[in-house]
Amino acid sequence: MRFSFFLSEAFGSMRRNWVMAMAAVITVFISTAILGAVLVTRDNLNQGATSLKNRVMIEVFIKDSATPQQTQALERKIQGMNDIKSYKYISKDEALRRFRERFGERIVANLPINPLPASYEIQVKDADRVDSVAQQFFDNPVVDNDPGTHNGVKYAKETVRKMLGTISLIEKGMWVTTGIFAAAAVLLISTTVRLSIFARRREVEIMRLVGATNWFIRWPFVLEGFITGLVGAMLAAAFVWVGNWGIANWIQSSQIDFLSLRVFRMWWQGGSWPLGLMPTLTILGALLGAVGSLVALRRYLKT
Amino acid sequence: MIVFEDVIKVYDPDVVGLQDFTCHIGKGEFVFLVGPSGSGKSTLIKLVLKELVPNSGRILVAGRNLGTLRKSRVPLLRRNIGCVFQDFKLLPNKTVHDNVAYALEVVGEPRRSIRRKVPEILSLVGLAEKTDSYPHEISGGEQQRVSVARAFVNHPPLLLADEPTGNIDPETAVGIMQLLVRINRTGTTVVIATHDRDMVNRMRRRVLQLEAGRLVRDERRGSYDQVTEEVGDAL
Ligand SMILES: Nc1ncnc2c1ncn2[C@@H]1O[C@H](COP(=O)(O)OP(=O)(O)OP(=O)(O)O)[C@@H](O)[C@H]1O
Ligand SMILES: [Mg+2]
Repeated sequence: MRFSFFLSEAFGSMRRNWVMAMAAVITVFISTAILGAVLVTRDNLNQGATSLKNRVMIEVFIKDSATPQQTQALERKIQGMNDIKSYKYISKDEALRRFRERFGERIVANLPINPLPASYEIQVKDADRVDSVAQQFFDNPVVDNDPGTHNGVKYAKETVRKMLGTISLIEKGMWVTTGIFAAAAVLLISTTVRLSIFARRREVEIMRLVGATNWFIRWPFVLEGFITGLVGAMLAAAFVWVGNWGIANWIQSSQIDFLSLRVFRMWWQGGSWPLGLMPTLTILGALLGAVGSLVALRRYLKT
Repeated sequence: MIVFEDVIKVYDPDVVGLQDFTCHIGKGEFVFLVGPSGSGKSTLIKLVLKELVPNSGRILVAGRNLGTLRKSRVPLLRRNIGCVFQDFKLLPNKTVHDNVAYALEVVGEPRRSIRRKVPEILSLVGLAEKTDSYPHEISGGEQQRVSVARAFVNHPPLLLADEPTGNIDPETAVGIMQLLVRINRTGTTVVIATHDRDMVNRMRRRVLQLEAGRLVRDERRGSYDQVTEEVGDAL
Protein backbone atom coordinates (compact mmCIF):
# COMPACT_ATOMS: atom_id res chain seq x y z
CA MET A 1 0.00 0.00 0.00
CA ARG A 2 1.41 3.27 -1.08
CA PHE A 3 1.16 6.54 0.76
CA SER A 4 1.28 8.42 -2.52
CA PHE A 5 -1.78 6.52 -3.72
CA PHE A 6 -3.73 7.50 -0.62
CA LEU A 7 -2.58 11.08 -0.91
CA SER A 8 -3.61 11.35 -4.53
CA GLU A 9 -6.95 9.73 -3.63
CA ALA A 10 -7.45 12.32 -0.91
CA PHE A 11 -6.55 15.28 -3.12
CA GLY A 12 -8.61 13.92 -6.01
CA SER A 13 -11.65 13.58 -3.79
CA MET A 14 -11.18 17.08 -2.40
CA ARG A 15 -10.94 18.49 -5.90
CA ARG A 16 -14.12 16.70 -6.93
CA ASN A 17 -16.04 17.55 -3.80
CA TRP A 18 -14.54 20.98 -3.40
CA VAL A 19 -17.76 22.51 -2.10
CA MET A 20 -17.83 19.96 0.70
CA ALA A 21 -14.13 20.44 1.32
CA MET A 22 -14.61 24.20 1.53
CA ALA A 23 -17.50 23.73 3.94
CA ALA A 24 -15.31 21.53 6.12
CA VAL A 25 -12.43 24.02 6.01
CA ILE A 26 -14.77 26.86 6.98
CA THR A 27 -16.25 24.78 9.79
CA VAL A 28 -12.83 24.01 11.17
CA PHE A 29 -11.82 27.62 10.70
CA ILE A 30 -14.77 29.01 12.63
CA SER A 31 -14.66 26.54 15.48
CA THR A 32 -10.89 26.68 15.90
CA ALA A 33 -10.89 30.46 15.66
CA ILE A 34 -13.46 30.71 18.44
CA LEU A 35 -11.58 28.13 20.45
CA GLY A 36 -8.34 30.01 19.82
CA ALA A 37 -9.88 33.32 20.83
CA VAL A 38 -11.12 31.81 24.07
CA LEU A 39 -7.73 30.26 24.77
CA VAL A 40 -5.84 33.48 24.01
CA THR A 41 -8.12 35.45 26.30
CA ARG A 42 -7.69 32.85 29.00
CA ASP A 43 -3.94 32.84 28.69
CA ASN A 44 -3.85 36.61 28.82
CA LEU A 45 -5.98 36.65 31.93
CA ASN A 46 -3.82 33.94 33.42
CA GLN A 47 -0.66 35.87 32.79
CA GLY A 48 -2.32 39.01 34.06
CA ALA A 49 -3.42 37.19 37.17
CA THR A 50 0.03 35.76 37.70
CA SER A 51 1.64 39.14 37.38
CA LEU A 52 -0.94 40.61 39.73
CA LYS A 53 -0.32 37.88 42.25
CA ASN A 54 3.39 38.49 41.91
CA ARG A 55 2.84 42.09 42.64
CA VAL A 56 1.09 41.43 45.92
CA MET A 57 3.70 43.05 48.04
CA ILE A 58 4.08 44.11 51.63
CA GLU A 59 6.00 47.25 52.35
CA VAL A 60 7.43 47.53 55.83
CA PHE A 61 8.67 51.04 56.61
CA ILE A 62 11.49 51.47 59.05
CA LYS A 63 11.85 54.26 61.57
CA ASP A 64 14.70 56.65 60.85
CA SER A 65 15.72 56.16 64.45
CA ALA A 66 16.25 52.44 64.11
CA THR A 67 19.79 51.26 64.76
CA PRO A 68 21.59 49.08 62.23
CA GLN A 69 21.36 46.21 64.73
CA GLN A 70 17.59 46.58 64.94
CA THR A 71 17.30 46.66 61.17
CA GLN A 72 19.44 43.55 60.89
CA ALA A 73 17.28 41.80 63.44
CA LEU A 74 14.24 42.64 61.36
CA GLU A 75 15.91 41.31 58.24
CA ARG A 76 16.77 38.06 59.99
CA LYS A 77 13.16 37.77 61.03
CA ILE A 78 12.07 38.22 57.42
CA GLN A 79 14.59 35.63 56.26
CA GLY A 80 13.18 33.16 58.72
CA MET A 81 9.66 33.37 57.43
CA ASN A 82 8.30 30.48 55.37
CA ASP A 83 5.64 32.25 53.37
CA ILE A 84 8.03 34.69 51.78
CA LYS A 85 9.21 34.42 48.21
CA SER A 86 11.65 37.29 48.19
CA TYR A 87 12.40 40.55 49.88
CA LYS A 88 14.35 43.61 49.06
CA TYR A 89 15.83 46.36 51.20
CA ILE A 90 15.05 49.86 49.95
CA SER A 91 17.35 52.38 51.50
CA LYS A 92 16.39 56.00 52.07
CA ASP A 93 18.48 57.03 49.07
CA GLU A 94 16.89 54.39 46.87
CA ALA A 95 13.45 55.51 47.98
CA LEU A 96 14.28 59.08 47.06
CA ARG A 97 15.65 58.06 43.71
CA ARG A 98 12.45 56.21 42.91
CA PHE A 99 10.37 59.14 44.08
CA ARG A 100 12.33 61.45 41.85
CA GLU A 101 11.91 59.16 38.90
CA ARG A 102 8.23 59.04 39.37
CA PHE A 103 7.34 62.62 40.24
CA GLY A 104 10.15 64.62 38.66
CA GLU A 105 13.20 66.45 39.75
CA ARG A 106 11.47 69.71 40.65
CA ILE A 107 9.60 68.53 43.69
CA VAL A 108 12.60 67.03 45.45
CA ALA A 109 15.21 69.51 44.27
CA ASN A 110 15.15 71.81 47.29
CA LEU A 111 14.40 69.37 50.06
CA PRO A 112 16.71 70.01 52.97
CA ILE A 113 16.51 66.42 54.18
CA ASN A 114 15.30 63.13 52.78
CA PRO A 115 11.85 62.59 54.31
CA LEU A 116 11.36 59.13 52.87
CA PRO A 117 11.83 56.16 55.20
CA ALA A 118 13.82 53.08 54.33
CA SER A 119 11.74 49.96 53.85
CA TYR A 120 11.61 46.26 53.11
CA GLU A 121 9.60 45.14 50.11
CA ILE A 122 8.40 41.65 50.77
CA GLN A 123 6.80 39.34 48.25
CA VAL A 124 4.75 36.50 49.60
CA LYS A 125 4.60 33.09 48.00
CA ASP A 126 0.85 32.85 48.10
CA ALA A 127 -1.30 35.92 47.70
CA ASP A 128 -3.80 34.43 50.12
CA ARG A 129 -1.23 34.52 52.91
CA VAL A 130 -0.54 38.20 52.62
CA ASP A 131 -2.68 39.05 55.63
CA SER A 132 -1.03 36.72 58.09
CA VAL A 133 2.45 37.72 56.96
CA ALA A 134 1.71 41.41 57.27
CA GLN A 135 0.31 41.01 60.79
CA GLN A 136 3.63 39.72 62.05
CA PHE A 137 5.14 43.17 61.52
CA PHE A 138 2.31 45.20 63.03
CA ASP A 139 3.78 45.65 66.50
CA ASN A 140 7.45 45.51 65.68
CA PRO A 141 9.19 48.45 67.39
CA VAL A 142 11.38 49.16 64.38
CA VAL A 143 8.38 49.70 62.14
CA ASP A 144 7.49 53.30 61.43
CA ASN A 145 3.92 53.27 62.72
CA ASP A 146 2.00 56.39 63.60
CA PRO A 147 0.92 55.97 67.19
CA GLY A 148 -2.05 53.63 67.60
CA THR A 149 -2.06 52.46 63.96
CA HIS A 150 -0.33 49.89 61.85
CA ASN A 151 0.25 52.22 58.95
CA GLY A 152 3.94 51.36 58.85
CA VAL A 153 2.99 48.10 57.17
CA LYS A 154 1.34 48.68 53.80
CA TYR A 155 -0.38 46.19 51.64
CA ALA A 156 -3.47 46.09 49.50
CA LYS A 157 -5.72 44.05 51.66
CA GLU A 158 -9.30 44.13 50.39
CA THR A 159 -8.42 45.09 46.83
CA VAL A 160 -6.11 42.14 46.45
CA ARG A 161 -8.60 39.74 47.83
CA LYS A 162 -11.39 40.93 45.57
CA MET A 163 -9.18 40.97 42.54
CA LEU A 164 -7.96 37.46 43.16
CA GLY A 165 -11.51 36.26 43.65
CA THR A 166 -12.61 37.83 40.39
CA ILE A 167 -9.68 36.40 38.48
CA SER A 168 -10.26 32.89 39.71
CA LEU A 169 -13.92 33.22 38.78
CA ILE A 170 -13.06 34.43 35.29
CA GLU A 171 -10.55 31.62 34.98
CA LYS A 172 -13.16 29.03 35.84
CA GLY A 173 -15.59 30.60 33.41
CA MET A 174 -12.98 30.46 30.70
CA TRP A 175 -12.36 26.78 31.27
CA VAL A 176 -16.05 26.09 30.93
CA THR A 177 -16.24 28.19 27.76
CA THR A 178 -13.20 26.40 26.36
CA GLY A 179 -14.81 23.05 27.04
CA ILE A 180 -18.07 24.03 25.40
CA PHE A 181 -16.41 25.37 22.29
CA ALA A 182 -14.07 22.41 21.99
CA ALA A 183 -17.05 20.07 22.15
CA ALA A 184 -18.93 22.19 19.63
CA ALA A 185 -15.94 22.10 17.31
CA VAL A 186 -15.74 18.30 17.42
CA LEU A 187 -19.47 18.00 16.82
CA LEU A 188 -19.49 20.45 13.91
CA ILE A 189 -16.53 18.84 12.23
CA SER A 190 -17.73 15.28 12.60
CA THR A 191 -21.14 16.30 11.26
CA THR A 192 -19.57 17.90 8.22
CA VAL A 193 -17.40 14.87 7.60
CA ARG A 194 -20.33 12.54 8.11
CA LEU A 195 -22.32 14.43 5.51
CA SER A 196 -19.54 14.15 2.99
CA ILE A 197 -19.03 10.47 3.70
CA PHE A 198 -22.75 9.78 3.56
CA ALA A 199 -22.71 11.18 0.05
CA ARG A 200 -20.02 8.65 -0.79
CA ARG A 201 -21.27 5.57 1.04
CA ARG A 202 -21.90 3.76 -2.25
CA GLU A 203 -18.25 4.21 -3.10
CA VAL A 204 -17.29 2.74 0.24
CA GLU A 205 -19.57 -0.24 -0.36
CA ILE A 206 -18.00 -0.87 -3.77
CA MET A 207 -14.49 -0.64 -2.35
CA ARG A 208 -15.40 -3.27 0.20
CA LEU A 209 -16.80 -5.57 -2.47
CA VAL A 210 -13.55 -5.39 -4.43
CA GLY A 211 -11.70 -6.59 -1.36
CA ALA A 212 -10.35 -3.36 0.10
CA THR A 213 -9.44 -3.68 3.77
CA ASN A 214 -10.98 -1.19 6.14
CA TRP A 215 -7.72 0.68 6.52
CA PHE A 216 -7.27 0.82 2.78
CA ILE A 217 -10.63 2.58 2.58
CA ARG A 218 -9.98 4.73 5.61
CA TRP A 219 -6.61 6.21 4.76
CA PRO A 220 -7.74 8.56 1.98
CA PHE A 221 -10.62 9.78 4.12
CA VAL A 222 -8.42 10.28 7.15
CA LEU A 223 -5.83 12.15 5.09
CA GLU A 224 -8.58 14.26 3.62
CA GLY A 225 -9.85 15.12 7.08
CA PHE A 226 -6.32 15.81 8.25
CA ILE A 227 -5.58 18.17 5.37
CA THR A 228 -8.92 19.92 5.70
CA GLY A 229 -8.41 20.35 9.43
CA LEU A 230 -4.86 21.55 8.91
CA VAL A 231 -5.83 24.22 6.42
CA GLY A 232 -8.80 25.42 8.45
CA ALA A 233 -6.85 25.50 11.69
CA MET A 234 -3.86 27.22 10.11
CA LEU A 235 -6.14 29.96 8.81
CA ALA A 236 -7.77 30.19 12.23
CA ALA A 237 -4.41 30.35 14.02
CA ALA A 238 -3.26 33.11 11.70
CA PHE A 239 -6.53 34.95 12.22
CA VAL A 240 -6.37 34.69 16.00
CA TRP A 241 -2.73 35.67 16.03
CA VAL A 242 -3.29 38.76 13.90
CA GLY A 243 -6.29 39.69 16.04
CA ASN A 244 -4.31 39.25 19.21
CA TRP A 245 -1.43 41.23 17.82
CA GLY A 246 -3.75 44.02 16.69
CA ILE A 247 -5.43 44.27 20.07
CA ALA A 248 -2.09 44.19 21.86
CA ASN A 249 -0.85 47.06 19.74
CA TRP A 250 -4.01 49.02 20.15
CA ILE A 251 -3.96 48.69 23.92
CA GLN A 252 -0.34 49.70 24.03
CA SER A 253 -0.76 52.72 21.79
CA SER A 254 -3.89 53.92 23.56
CA GLN A 255 -2.07 53.90 26.88
CA ILE A 256 -4.89 52.06 28.57
CA ASP A 257 -3.50 50.47 31.66
CA PHE A 258 -6.31 48.30 32.81
CA LEU A 259 -4.96 46.82 36.02
CA SER A 260 -1.63 47.06 34.22
CA LEU A 261 -2.81 44.08 32.28
CA ARG A 262 -0.80 43.51 29.16
CA VAL A 263 -1.98 41.64 26.14
CA PHE A 264 0.68 39.13 25.34
CA ARG A 265 1.73 38.47 21.82
CA MET A 266 1.55 34.78 21.55
CA TRP A 267 3.41 32.89 19.01
CA TRP A 268 6.05 30.53 20.15
CA GLN A 269 5.74 31.54 23.72
CA GLY A 270 2.23 30.72 24.64
CA GLY A 271 1.72 30.49 28.32
CA SER A 272 0.82 26.93 29.17
CA TRP A 273 1.21 25.57 25.62
CA PRO A 274 4.24 23.37 25.05
CA LEU A 275 4.65 24.40 21.41
CA GLY A 276 3.07 27.79 21.70
CA LEU A 277 -0.61 28.33 21.28
CA MET A 278 -0.76 28.76 17.50
CA PRO A 279 1.11 25.57 16.50
CA THR A 280 -0.92 23.69 19.10
CA LEU A 281 -4.11 25.05 17.59
CA THR A 282 -3.02 24.02 14.10
CA ILE A 283 -2.14 20.48 15.14
CA LEU A 284 -5.35 20.26 17.11
CA GLY A 285 -7.38 21.21 14.04
CA ALA A 286 -5.61 18.66 11.86
CA LEU A 287 -6.15 15.89 14.41
CA LEU A 288 -9.75 16.97 14.80
CA GLY A 289 -10.26 16.56 11.06
CA ALA A 290 -8.60 13.14 10.99
CA VAL A 291 -10.48 11.84 14.01
CA GLY A 292 -13.71 13.29 12.66
CA SER A 293 -13.24 11.24 9.48
CA LEU A 294 -12.51 8.09 11.47
CA VAL A 295 -15.58 8.51 13.63
CA ALA A 296 -17.82 9.32 10.68
CA LEU A 297 -16.57 6.29 8.73
CA ARG A 298 -17.16 3.86 11.55
CA ARG A 299 -20.74 3.00 10.70
CA TYR A 300 -19.93 2.26 7.07
CA LEU A 301 -17.11 -0.10 7.93
CA LYS A 302 -18.81 -2.11 10.62
CA THR A 303 -19.13 -5.59 9.17
CA MET B 1 -14.62 -24.45 -5.27
CA ILE B 2 -17.99 -23.64 -3.68
CA VAL B 3 -19.82 -25.94 -1.28
CA PHE B 4 -23.22 -25.19 0.23
CA GLU B 5 -24.50 -27.60 2.89
CA ASP B 6 -28.07 -27.23 4.16
CA VAL B 7 -27.84 -23.48 3.97
CA ILE B 8 -30.79 -21.46 5.21
CA LYS B 9 -30.97 -17.72 4.78
CA VAL B 10 -34.04 -15.91 6.02
CA TYR B 11 -34.28 -12.13 5.75
CA ASP B 12 -35.51 -10.17 8.69
CA PRO B 13 -39.27 -10.01 8.34
CA ASP B 14 -39.55 -13.73 7.61
CA VAL B 15 -38.67 -13.60 3.92
CA VAL B 16 -37.00 -16.70 2.56
CA GLY B 17 -33.75 -16.10 0.71
CA LEU B 18 -32.41 -19.64 0.51
CA GLN B 19 -33.80 -22.78 2.03
CA ASP B 20 -32.17 -26.14 2.68
CA PHE B 21 -29.76 -25.36 -0.07
CA THR B 22 -27.08 -27.90 -0.83
CA CYS B 23 -24.82 -27.89 -3.85
CA HIS B 24 -21.26 -28.36 -4.94
CA ILE B 25 -19.50 -26.40 -7.63
CA GLY B 26 -16.13 -27.75 -8.67
CA LYS B 27 -12.98 -26.01 -9.70
CA GLY B 28 -13.03 -24.66 -13.26
CA GLU B 29 -16.76 -25.17 -13.76
CA PHE B 30 -19.01 -22.83 -15.68
CA VAL B 31 -22.41 -22.64 -13.98
CA PHE B 32 -25.64 -20.78 -14.66
CA LEU B 33 -27.99 -19.91 -11.82
CA VAL B 34 -31.52 -19.53 -13.12
CA GLY B 35 -34.91 -19.05 -11.57
CA PRO B 36 -37.67 -16.47 -11.36
CA SER B 37 -37.21 -13.13 -9.74
CA GLY B 38 -36.93 -13.47 -5.98
CA SER B 39 -35.85 -17.10 -6.10
CA GLY B 40 -32.57 -16.44 -4.28
CA LYS B 41 -29.88 -16.12 -6.93
CA SER B 42 -28.45 -12.84 -5.65
CA THR B 43 -28.75 -14.13 -2.12
CA LEU B 44 -26.53 -17.07 -3.04
CA ILE B 45 -23.91 -14.82 -4.58
CA LYS B 46 -23.92 -12.49 -1.58
CA LEU B 47 -23.46 -15.47 0.72
CA VAL B 48 -20.37 -16.56 -1.23
CA LEU B 49 -18.93 -13.05 -0.83
CA LYS B 50 -19.80 -13.09 2.86
CA GLU B 51 -21.81 -9.97 2.29
CA LEU B 52 -24.54 -11.95 4.01
CA VAL B 53 -24.27 -14.59 6.71
CA PRO B 54 -26.54 -17.67 6.61
CA ASN B 55 -28.89 -18.47 9.47
CA SER B 56 -27.67 -22.04 9.43
CA GLY B 57 -25.69 -24.44 7.30
CA ARG B 58 -22.14 -24.42 6.06
CA ILE B 59 -20.53 -22.61 3.16
CA LEU B 60 -17.04 -23.43 1.95
CA VAL B 61 -15.25 -21.32 -0.63
CA ALA B 62 -11.92 -22.60 -1.91
CA GLY B 63 -11.82 -24.93 1.08
CA ARG B 64 -12.37 -22.16 3.61
CA ASN B 65 -15.32 -22.30 5.93
CA LEU B 66 -16.96 -18.88 5.75
CA GLY B 67 -18.64 -19.45 9.10
CA THR B 68 -15.32 -19.45 10.90
CA LEU B 69 -13.64 -16.91 8.65
CA ARG B 70 -12.64 -13.91 10.72
CA LYS B 71 -14.02 -10.51 9.79
CA SER B 72 -10.57 -9.19 9.10
CA ARG B 73 -10.02 -11.94 6.51
CA VAL B 74 -13.11 -11.08 4.48
CA PRO B 75 -11.21 -8.61 2.25
CA LEU B 76 -8.75 -11.40 1.47
CA LEU B 77 -11.61 -13.69 0.50
CA ARG B 78 -13.05 -11.04 -1.80
CA ARG B 79 -9.74 -10.40 -3.51
CA ASN B 80 -9.87 -13.99 -4.66
CA ILE B 81 -13.35 -13.59 -6.06
CA GLY B 82 -13.98 -11.44 -9.08
CA CYS B 83 -17.42 -9.95 -9.10
CA VAL B 84 -19.64 -8.55 -11.85
CA PHE B 85 -22.91 -6.93 -10.90
CA GLN B 86 -26.01 -6.09 -12.83
CA ASP B 87 -25.59 -2.43 -11.87
CA PHE B 88 -21.83 -2.55 -12.59
CA LYS B 89 -20.81 -0.98 -9.26
CA LEU B 90 -18.09 1.15 -10.81
CA LEU B 91 -16.59 3.99 -8.80
CA PRO B 92 -18.21 7.04 -10.41
CA ASN B 93 -15.29 9.38 -9.76
CA LYS B 94 -12.65 7.20 -11.31
CA THR B 95 -11.77 6.75 -14.94
CA VAL B 96 -12.12 3.36 -16.63
CA HIS B 97 -8.41 2.83 -16.10
CA ASP B 98 -8.49 3.79 -12.42
CA ASN B 99 -11.52 1.64 -11.72
CA VAL B 100 -9.68 -1.42 -12.96
CA ALA B 101 -6.46 -0.31 -11.30
CA TYR B 102 -8.25 0.00 -7.96
CA ALA B 103 -8.64 -3.78 -7.74
CA LEU B 104 -4.86 -4.02 -8.11
CA GLU B 105 -4.08 -1.19 -5.70
CA VAL B 106 -6.16 -3.00 -3.12
CA VAL B 107 -3.87 -6.00 -3.20
CA GLY B 108 -0.76 -3.83 -3.12
CA GLU B 109 0.32 -4.57 -6.69
CA PRO B 110 3.49 -2.68 -7.66
CA ARG B 111 2.92 0.38 -9.80
CA ARG B 112 4.88 -0.99 -12.71
CA SER B 113 2.78 -4.11 -12.97
CA ILE B 114 -0.41 -2.02 -12.70
CA ARG B 115 0.80 0.01 -15.64
CA ARG B 116 1.23 -3.17 -17.62
CA LYS B 117 -1.83 -5.17 -16.58
CA VAL B 118 -4.57 -2.55 -16.85
CA PRO B 119 -4.09 -1.66 -20.53
CA GLU B 120 -3.72 -5.36 -21.25
CA ILE B 121 -7.05 -6.32 -19.74
CA LEU B 122 -8.77 -3.23 -21.18
CA SER B 123 -7.75 -4.18 -24.69
CA LEU B 124 -8.90 -7.73 -23.97
CA VAL B 125 -12.42 -6.42 -23.24
CA GLY B 126 -12.15 -4.01 -26.18
CA LEU B 127 -12.01 -0.77 -24.26
CA ALA B 128 -8.50 0.41 -25.07
CA GLU B 129 -9.88 3.69 -26.41
CA LYS B 130 -12.03 4.45 -23.37
CA THR B 131 -9.20 4.31 -20.85
CA ASP B 132 -9.64 7.88 -19.64
CA SER B 133 -13.43 8.07 -19.81
CA TYR B 134 -15.55 8.17 -16.69
CA PRO B 135 -18.30 5.58 -16.17
CA HIS B 136 -21.06 8.07 -16.95
CA GLU B 137 -19.42 8.85 -20.28
CA ILE B 138 -19.67 5.32 -21.64
CA SER B 139 -22.55 2.99 -22.51
CA GLY B 140 -24.02 0.34 -20.24
CA GLY B 141 -22.40 -2.46 -22.22
CA GLU B 142 -19.05 -0.73 -21.97
CA GLN B 143 -19.50 -0.22 -18.25
CA GLN B 144 -20.28 -3.89 -17.89
CA ARG B 145 -17.09 -4.77 -19.71
CA VAL B 146 -15.15 -2.48 -17.39
CA SER B 147 -16.59 -4.34 -14.44
CA VAL B 148 -15.64 -7.66 -16.04
CA ALA B 149 -12.14 -6.30 -16.56
CA ARG B 150 -11.96 -5.23 -12.92
CA ALA B 151 -13.23 -8.60 -11.76
CA PHE B 152 -10.67 -10.47 -13.79
CA VAL B 153 -7.58 -8.28 -13.67
CA ASN B 154 -6.36 -10.14 -10.59
CA HIS B 155 -6.95 -13.50 -12.27
CA PRO B 156 -9.04 -14.73 -9.35
CA PRO B 157 -9.79 -18.43 -9.07
CA LEU B 158 -13.52 -17.64 -8.85
CA LEU B 159 -15.67 -15.19 -10.77
CA LEU B 160 -19.27 -14.42 -9.83
CA ALA B 161 -21.58 -12.52 -12.12
CA ASP B 162 -25.05 -11.37 -11.08
CA GLU B 163 -27.05 -10.77 -14.25
CA PRO B 164 -24.08 -9.48 -16.20
CA THR B 165 -26.16 -9.14 -19.35
CA GLY B 166 -29.32 -7.84 -17.73
CA ASN B 167 -28.93 -4.26 -18.85
CA ILE B 168 -27.49 -4.63 -22.31
CA ASP B 169 -28.52 -5.49 -25.85
CA PRO B 170 -28.29 -9.11 -27.10
CA GLU B 171 -25.23 -8.61 -29.30
CA THR B 172 -23.22 -6.96 -26.56
CA ALA B 173 -24.46 -9.64 -24.20
CA VAL B 174 -22.96 -12.28 -26.47
CA GLY B 175 -19.69 -10.38 -26.35
CA ILE B 176 -19.71 -10.33 -22.56
CA MET B 177 -20.56 -14.01 -22.40
CA GLN B 178 -17.71 -14.86 -24.76
CA LEU B 179 -15.46 -12.89 -22.46
CA LEU B 180 -16.61 -14.94 -19.49
CA VAL B 181 -16.05 -18.16 -21.43
CA ARG B 182 -12.53 -17.09 -22.22
CA ILE B 183 -11.95 -16.31 -18.60
CA ASN B 184 -13.32 -19.74 -17.71
CA ARG B 185 -10.83 -21.34 -20.10
CA THR B 186 -7.96 -19.92 -18.08
CA GLY B 187 -9.13 -22.15 -15.23
CA THR B 188 -11.30 -19.67 -13.38
CA THR B 189 -14.55 -21.01 -11.95
CA VAL B 190 -17.43 -18.92 -13.29
CA VAL B 191 -20.89 -18.65 -11.73
CA ILE B 192 -23.50 -16.56 -13.53
CA ALA B 193 -26.95 -15.66 -12.27
CA THR B 194 -29.10 -14.82 -15.24
CA HIS B 195 -32.54 -14.46 -16.79
CA ASP B 196 -31.10 -14.69 -20.29
CA ARG B 197 -32.92 -17.72 -21.66
CA ASP B 198 -31.35 -17.68 -25.14
CA MET B 199 -27.90 -17.46 -23.73
CA VAL B 200 -28.35 -20.41 -21.39
CA ASN B 201 -29.99 -22.50 -24.06
CA ARG B 202 -27.24 -21.75 -26.56
CA MET B 203 -24.36 -22.48 -24.22
CA ARG B 204 -25.55 -25.75 -22.71
CA ARG B 205 -23.59 -25.56 -19.51
CA ARG B 206 -24.41 -26.74 -16.04
CA VAL B 207 -27.64 -25.13 -14.83
CA LEU B 208 -28.78 -24.73 -11.23
CA GLN B 209 -32.43 -23.75 -11.05
CA LEU B 210 -33.82 -22.11 -7.94
CA GLU B 211 -37.42 -21.77 -6.89
CA ALA B 212 -38.37 -19.86 -3.77
CA GLY B 213 -34.95 -20.41 -2.28
CA ARG B 214 -34.75 -24.12 -3.05
CA LEU B 215 -32.65 -25.93 -5.58
CA VAL B 216 -35.13 -27.60 -7.93
CA ARG B 217 -32.85 -28.64 -10.77
CA ASP B 218 -29.16 -29.32 -11.23
CA GLU B 219 -28.45 -30.32 -14.78
CA ARG B 220 -25.24 -30.83 -16.73
CA ARG B 221 -25.48 -29.23 -20.16
CA GLY B 222 -28.88 -27.92 -19.15
CA SER B 223 -31.26 -25.45 -20.71
CA TYR B 224 -33.02 -22.48 -19.19
CA ASP B 225 -36.36 -24.24 -18.77
CA GLN B 226 -36.94 -27.61 -17.35
CA VAL B 227 -37.75 -29.81 -20.32
CA THR B 228 -39.96 -32.53 -18.87
CA GLU B 229 -41.89 -35.29 -20.55
CA GLU B 230 -45.22 -33.60 -19.88
CA VAL B 231 -44.13 -30.33 -21.43
CA GLY B 232 -42.74 -32.22 -24.40
CA ASP B 233 -46.03 -34.11 -24.75
CA ALA B 234 -48.08 -30.99 -24.48
CA LEU B 235 -46.17 -29.39 -27.33
N1 LIG C 1 -32.06 -7.16 2.03
C1 LIG C 1 -33.20 -7.88 1.97
N2 LIG C 1 -34.09 -7.76 2.97
C2 LIG C 1 -35.23 -8.50 2.93
N3 LIG C 1 -35.53 -9.35 1.97
C3 LIG C 1 -34.67 -9.49 0.96
C4 LIG C 1 -33.46 -8.75 0.89
N4 LIG C 1 -32.79 -9.09 -0.22
C5 LIG C 1 -33.58 -10.00 -0.86
N5 LIG C 1 -34.69 -10.25 -0.17
C6 LIG C 1 -35.73 -11.20 -0.52
O1 LIG C 1 -35.17 -12.47 -0.63
C7 LIG C 1 -35.71 -13.18 -1.72
C8 LIG C 1 -34.60 -13.60 -2.66
O2 LIG C 1 -34.03 -12.45 -3.22
P1 LIG C 1 -32.86 -12.46 -4.29
O3 LIG C 1 -32.39 -11.09 -4.47
O4 LIG C 1 -31.87 -13.48 -3.87
O5 LIG C 1 -33.62 -12.95 -5.59
P2 LIG C 1 -33.05 -13.09 -7.06
O6 LIG C 1 -33.19 -14.50 -7.43
O7 LIG C 1 -31.71 -12.50 -7.15
O8 LIG C 1 -34.09 -12.22 -7.87
P3 LIG C 1 -33.78 -11.35 -9.19
O9 LIG C 1 -33.75 -12.33 -10.32
O10 LIG C 1 -34.98 -10.46 -9.28
O11 LIG C 1 -32.55 -10.62 -8.98
C9 LIG C 1 -36.73 -12.25 -2.36
O12 LIG C 1 -38.00 -12.60 -1.87
C10 LIG C 1 -36.35 -10.90 -1.85
O13 LIG C 1 -37.49 -10.08 -1.72
MG1 LIG D 1 -30.88 -10.76 -8.14
